[in-house]
Amino acid sequence: MGDNKSESGLLVYIIPFLAVVPFLYAMGWESHDASILIVAVPFMTFPVILIVGQVYNGEEFWKSKMKEGGILALGALGASLSAALWLVYDYVDSLPNFDEQQSVTQWLEWVSFDLLQSDYTLTSGSKILGMGVWIDSITLMILFVATFLCFLICWFSLGYMNTDPINEDRNHRFYGEFVLFALGMFGMVLADNFLWLFIFWEVMGLCSYLLIGFYYWKDSAAYASKKAFLTTRVGDVFLMIGLFILYDIYGSLEFSVIFHDPSLNGSVNSDKLFWALLMMFIGAVGKSAQFPLHVWLPDAMEGPTPVSALIHAATMVNAGLYLVARMVPFVDVGHHGVAGLEDLGLIVAYVGGITAFMAAAIAFVQNDIKKVLAYSTMSQLAYIFTGLGSALWFYNNDEHHAAAVVFGSSMFHLFNHAMAKGMLFMASGSVIHEVHHAHDHLHHGHGDGHGHDFDPQDMRNMGGLASKMPVTATAMMFGSMSIIGIPLIGGFWSKEGIIAETWLAALEHEPLMYGPAILVLLTAGMTGFYMSRMWFMTFAGVPKSEVVEHVHEETPWIKMPLVVLTVITAFGGFAFALLGATDYLSSAYDYSGHLKLHKSTLLDSILYKLEYAFLPEKINLRIVGWVTIFLSFIVGPILAARIHGGKLSDGESSTPFVSWLVSTSSKFGKQDVSSLSESELSVALQNRLYFDDLYEGVLARTVIPFSQFTAWFDRNVIDGLVKQIERRSVSGSVQVRRLTTGSARDYILMATVGMLSIIALLWGMNT
Amino acid sequence: MTSLGQLPLDSDTASSLLPETMMLAGLIAIVLIPNLGDAKFRIPLTSVRVPVLLGGSRFDLTNDPRMPNRISNITFLLAFLSSLVLISESPREVGGVLMADGFSRVFSTMFLAALLLVSVATTYRIPAKTNAQIPDDSDSEAAIDRKISVLIDNRRQVDFYILLIMVGLGMSMMTMATNLFMMIVCIELASLSTYVLVAFHKESPAGGEAGAKYFIVGSVASAIGIYGMSLLYLWSGSLDLDVLKESWQAMDGVDPFAAFGIGMMLVAFGFKVSAAPFHLAAPDAYSGAASPISGLLATASKAMGFVALFRVLVIITVPEGAEALWMVALGIFSVVTMTWGNLAALTSENPKRMLAYSSVAHAGYMLAAIAVVGSGISSTEESVVILTAVTFHLAVLVLFKLGAFLVISHLETEGKGHSIEHLHGLGNRDPMIAGSMFLFVLSLAGVPPLSGFLSKLLMINGIVSTSASTGSSDTSGIATWAESVDPLFWLATAIVLNSALSLFYYLRIGLVMFFEEPASSKPLKAAPSLRMAIFACAILTLLCGVGPVSEWLLDLVNGAIDSFMHQ
Repeated sequence: MGDNKSESGLLVYIIPFLAVVPFLYAMGWESHDASILIVAVPFMTFPVILIVGQVYNGEEFWKSKMKEGGILALGALGASLSAALWLVYDYVDSLPNFDEQQSVTQWLEWVSFDLLQSDYTLTSGSKILGMGVWIDSITLMILFVATFLCFLICWFSLGYMNTDPINEDRNHRFYGEFVLFALGMFGMVLADNFLWLFIFWEVMGLCSYLLIGFYYWKDSAAYASKKAFLTTRVGDVFLMIGLFILYDIYGSLEFSVIFHDPSLNGSVNSDKLFWALLMMFIGAVGKSAQFPLHVWLPDAMEGPTPVSALIHAATMVNAGLYLVARMVPFVDVGHHGVAGLEDLGLIVAYVGGITAFMAAAIAFVQNDIKKVLAYSTMSQLAYIFTGLGSALWFYNNDEHHAAAVVFGSSMFHLFNHAMAKGMLFMASGSVIHEVHHAHDHLHHGHGDGHGHDFDPQDMRNMGGLASKMPVTATAMMFGSMSIIGIPLIGGFWSKEGIIAETWLAALEHEPLMYGPAILVLLTAGMTGFYMSRMWFMTFAGVPKSEVVEHVHEETPWIKMPLVVLTVITAFGGFAFALLGATDYLSSAYDYSGHLKLHKSTLLDSILYKLEYAFLPEKINLRIVGWVTIFLSFIVGPILAARIHGGKLSDGESSTPFVSWLVSTSSKFGKQDVSSLSESELSVALQNRLYFDDLYEGVLARTVIPFSQFTAWFDRNVIDGLVKQIERRSVSGSVQVRRLTTGSARDYILMATVGMLSIIALLWGMNT
Repeated sequence: MTSLGQLPLDSDTASSLLPETMMLAGLIAIVLIPNLGDAKFRIPLTSVRVPVLLGGSRFDLTNDPRMPNRISNITFLLAFLSSLVLISESPREVGGVLMADGFSRVFSTMFLAALLLVSVATTYRIPAKTNAQIPDDSDSEAAIDRKISVLIDNRRQVDFYILLIMVGLGMSMMTMATNLFMMIVCIELASLSTYVLVAFHKESPAGGEAGAKYFIVGSVASAIGIYGMSLLYLWSGSLDLDVLKESWQAMDGVDPFAAFGIGMMLVAFGFKVSAAPFHLAAPDAYSGAASPISGLLATASKAMGFVALFRVLVIITVPEGAEALWMVALGIFSVVTMTWGNLAALTSENPKRMLAYSSVAHAGYMLAAIAVVGSGISSTEESVVILTAVTFHLAVLVLFKLGAFLVISHLETEGKGHSIEHLHGLGNRDPMIAGSMFLFVLSLAGVPPLSGFLSKLLMINGIVSTSASTGSSDTSGIATWAESVDPLFWLATAIVLNSALSLFYYLRIGLVMFFEEPASSKPLKAAPSLRMAIFACAILTLLCGVGPVSEWLLDLVNGAIDSFMHQ
């Protein structure tokens, strides 16, 4: 794998962590009992990393052997991953028994001792602060994605973070927060009620703040972390309101209670439920950075690159999707759902469509490699929201089959996107790291001033990296292809389903669906353009700065995750599609069990899948499918190649496929678009369509005066009150202590006074 | 009239009183073994030596200064374990005045746990001469031996552990007493030993003064209590708890003898639990005594007072469904106690005094809970819950209150610990110890998920759920409800407000430990057994707050209190 030999020996230290799950298996535990470990092991590890790191900061063993806590973090995440894999294995193993797919296990009931339960409880529920796990196919898929990617990203960080001198002696903070973040996601996915879901949701919110602001001494990072925190907080407030309403309706926040019969035998007020779900959806919008709460996500790129990978692929943004996916039982009229909630599906789909289009448009003009990826994340998540919106709409109209298809596709897209995007971020991290490294190397000794002008994230400084970084170039190529939806690769298998079913809804049922349907179709083409543009700008053509000449791909730990994810991205989509991933993923809400999961032979299932993808039965869907392929596969990439493509310098070469792609890109001619970048639209896009300015303007006129008032109120009234209490207490304390004279005679006098007053009270109160 | 009975010397008795038997054996061993081989036998606690005409000088083994500590550790460990095992045994009456049941065994286990921790923690900690130094890691083998021999004169060590075992005997017998006379005798056995232990550092002025004051005030309180007891005897003709209970229930109106008797006994027990205004000697005693002993006073000795209160107040004088005689008095005194304790702690600059006042405040919380039991508005089940909460609180107090004193004791190894400045920068000097201390103060303040939170939650929950339902459920507003609710509800409010006040001084400890610069950054001296005791306390503080251990402990306590209330 190219990792330094001396360092791979460090993996010995994670063996004890990895041994936990096999040990429990040998002890006869069940996989769902062991699911506590997925959260518990990181939960016990993160304080250890933080405390030990603080105490033994800079010591040799901690630094070189423990990688400032990275090895411990890797071990903990490895334990989570193995426990999650065990769960997945167990449930895939019992696939035919779909009714048993949903399983609930209680593993922690805090403050719910019999004593408190017997006669009076703090709440009306059967337990007070209990916690359990809720396992179905969605849980398992997202759990697998989260544990797997967290593990790989942590691995990547060992190379990325620990070789960057700016992080020196700070990495324990990074790894501690990383692990806490990861456990927030694991816990949120596993939680069996909305309260715990919310608690873990907030854990993630906190950690995103801490991690985005990891370079807190940089103003931009501090600003970005605040922005991310506050923007998602807006969503969280709505989510909380939604949960309040939900609790008001059902008297519980537990999945098992609510999902048992969301319509409460038809007595639910559907308007009230609509508002609850809408509020929860706004929470999801904030977390998943959708329009209009999308502004935080591009700025979140201020954090270290592994954090970007963590937020955008493995954890936080998926949380919002997960929450929306959990809304299906409310609207599934085929199974105790509540009718009349079509509007919710429409709203979700529209938010998705608008975000997809807008983010793709902004991505056109970004020159920062991570920002392109950030907008691409927004856009792809918006696809999934559109898909979920259609699914909600279909479920609410009892179109069960179409609903299941689009729901499964959306969830599958989440998987494909997470894998591809996790890898893309790590690959971009690899590029940035090596370019930065090369720059430092080049300008070593040139004095300070020079280094500050150079931005290692700006693609205009790159170009021609394909020959310098063949592994990264290959990885990024497959990642981009998956995101674009090049036929047969990764995201193609899921994106196709989302677009087709959204169009189906528009064509056959609900004209209002045309909006999102057209938007996502256009976005497919735009995705083809901006992803190709990013790749060509970075890897094709001749180097645009002298730094590139000195780039080498040699940092340890970085390549392995890239290779693993490249394989999954390249072949995983097709393989999982063949295995029936979409059907399996929608099985969480498939109560009738009529989905056909298996074709008889492999060949049959390949043919079935291909036919399903390229030649669907309905002729208009066939047209939609081919238009999508045409836009995303042909139009977008070729345009990008005309503008940014080009041959490598003479004598340079890369891996065969990459070389072929680069040389092909030079054959479409050359087009100069520099004049376009001056146009008004381009300027508007570069300014992110002025959303940030708008929000800032509104905030400056409303929230900030109000907060100045509350600050005054806090300082003078509340603090004043507290200070008064403190002053009074202290003077009272001095008075009271004066009674402790130190003379035994006075003590006895006081005791006598006490005795007399006791007797007086006893006698006086009772006669 | 019951006689005080006689202890039958059979195997059943021995097995019911196994922990006490073990302590007795330990006592004999600790008196004899260090004298073995010597031609003169030293009478314990004195400097009188009696020639025995045998032997010459002591053997190496019996001369070893660490010997008494080892004997004491083993004795307390065995007694603790046997007491733990006996909790689930069926109740057995022994000799007419003792009742070995779950209730008494829960408490004796608690006391023995505290004594075990103290005994383990005091290895090397009780120097014979105040200027003796304890061995350092850097010392040579020979230097360590020399220092230890200066440090610990084993004759004096023997005295310390003899007293400790006597305390254990008195306390664990006291839990079983069903006769007031027996109870007072046992309490005095334990108390007299603690007076001497407080003054064990007689060379230092603070130690002698503290011991003397504690002894004087304590004896006055005991005298008042015994006088009250004699009034009770005059009134009913018996000191047996069952007889007293029957006479109480048969009493028409309030007999002055009975009322005065109970009131005076409250003074004695109030001193034991350090309730205001009988607590005044406590801060002096705690700060003058060696810290482990202060910890013992703040936990086991206080719990002993509560056992007595349980026996006397709850068993004898709580009428069915009506207000007990002492309810109002106890309610008022509880509020005074907790407020006094917290206020005084607020500006204490001596951490030991601060912990002493915090211990006063905790006594106030628990007295408030007992007042609710006496109010007559709680059903038996609710009373069980409340008393369980109090007992649970006493049990976990052994962990974190004693733990906090042990941390101070660690500072005392370098001659410090009597000023909050000595805690400055402890986080840098020894993060593990500072972390444990922080855990202890958080638990004292009642921060979740530590055990101090759970016990306080149970206590407040008990009070609130008992009293809140008495409020008017009229929807016309909170004001009507507040007027109509039973005054006991405000006891819960007082506890909550006081807890908020107490955070101020508890968190200050954390503040100075982690954010102030230490005077010297030398690491603390090595003291393995003390550290072990501290870490054990810290881990258990956490485990008893959440998870299976806490449930196990709570079930244990609940079972004991349940049988106690239904006997």
